[in-house]
Amino acid sequence: MFIDVACAQRKKYNQNAYGDFFTSTRFPNMNRVVAVLSDGLGSGIKANILACMTSTMLLKFLESNSDIENSCEIIMNSLPVCKVRGISYSTFSAIDCFENGKAKIVEEGNPDFIWIRNGEVLKPEYQIIESKDFKNRKMKVYDIKLEKQDRIIFCSDGATQVAMGTKAFPLGLERNGLIKIILNKLRQSPEISSKDLSEYLVHQVELIAPNKELKDDTSIVSIYCRDPRESLIFTGPPYHQDKDNYYAKSFIEFKGKKAISGGTTANIISRELNIPVTTDVATATGKLPGLSNMEGVDLVTEGILTLTKTLEYLENGKPEQNAAKILMDFMLNSDCIHFMVGAQMNKAHYDPNLPIEIEIRKNVIRQIAKVLEEKYLKKVKVQFI
Amino acid sequence: MEKISVKVCLGTTCFVMGGSNLQELNDLIPKKYGDKVEVVGSPCLGLCSINWEYSKAPYVKIDEDVITEATVEKVLEAIEKKLGN
Repeated sequence: MFIDVACAQRKKYNQNAYGDFFTSTRFPNMNRVVAVLSDGLGSGIKANILACMTSTMLLKFLESNSDIENSCEIIMNSLPVCKVRGISYSTFSAIDCFENGKAKIVEEGNPDFIWIRNGEVLKPEYQIIESKDFKNRKMKVYDIKLEKQDRIIFCSDGATQVAMGTKAFPLGLERNGLIKIILNKLRQSPEISSKDLSEYLVHQVELIAPNKELKDDTSIVSIYCRDPRESLIFTGPPYHQDKDNYYAKSFIEFKGKKAISGGTTANIISRELNIPVTTDVATATGKLPGLSNMEGVDLVTEGILTLTKTLEYLENGKPEQNAAKILMDFMLNSDCIHFMVGAQMNKAHYDPNLPIEIEIRKNVIRQIAKVLEEKYLKKVKVQFI
Repeated sequence: MEKISVKVCLGTTCFVMGGSNLQELNDLIPKKYGDKVEVVGSPCLGLCSINWEYSKAPYVKIDEDVITEATVEKVLEAIEKKLGN
């Protein structure tokens, strides 16, 4: 089971900093994901600092399996005290879940999370833990078991209290109003990704707000348990030429989406499997060669130039419309990405007359793998062949 | 008469050694020769690694003839020759 986590946020109207903060980490080796959403007291920079401190500290505590009760006391004691209100405050929702479905959720002050299975909202049991040092601060702790196709939604109160005081929503949208929107959307698109669902929900909340001006920071975190979308990228000729056929076959037999990055690599697979490859000259853009076509393969690009550009886009964003952007989207639309990296060197790339820096393939792939894991929470496997 | 086939290598080496300029041929050749000449790309003609020490990328193949250090002018010249103009 794969756990798809995403968050979408909007700022309070006229503020220049987010007062909610979301952070998460995936541990591919432990098949575990930890995510925290925190809502800081007030709005703007002050709230941002409180929320950021809370969620980063809590994430670290959860990661290290510290006692949650103790961790929360430490956090509350370390937050700066607001001059206006004389208290230090931030609310949070945190989830620590494993791919076998076992999950622990801790909430303090945020709206209760929403757990949806087969179009129904579940009502899980919880335990209340009261703070020793702080009055009126209670945590809810849930130990639950997630199943495939389950969805969990966390939000900050900006979402549930939107439009409060208006005729249509005297008490705001409320948790039930949000549930209605979620269930409707899930009926329309049952397979919607977490990213699209949270983005959709936050947009709906914005539409409900009078004049589309949000009175509070609004964040929605969506979690979706599903089968992983797997993909395989073959780049570079295998070191042992006599194994070309073996690798070409194992490539084409792969069940998920398949891409080839490299002209020579494409030729090898074409030769071994007897599938013609044609290059679409028209898709080339100034700086990058275009795409090629091969039956049974979802994407065929040039190798090292495209990969280097893809890495740049993954790190810095701002992609242009070209083969590297298409390769980036191919990666981002998968959950588990396998790389088969041929270790044979292309001597022609070491010609000192080549006008630009051509990176070593292994290094580029290693960097791509790192950014996919750390920034995009993907599961990545790299096999050198 | 059989069509003349022009294969432009779009492998990494050819592309950075000037092959990117050969994209112009896509527009030029159909305009100039219509159906008589066909332009296609190739992910890599594999020529740079055979003779890499004296690499003369970018490469273009016109039928079976290899044009080294290809430019738009060189390619057009070779097509003219083939057509017997």
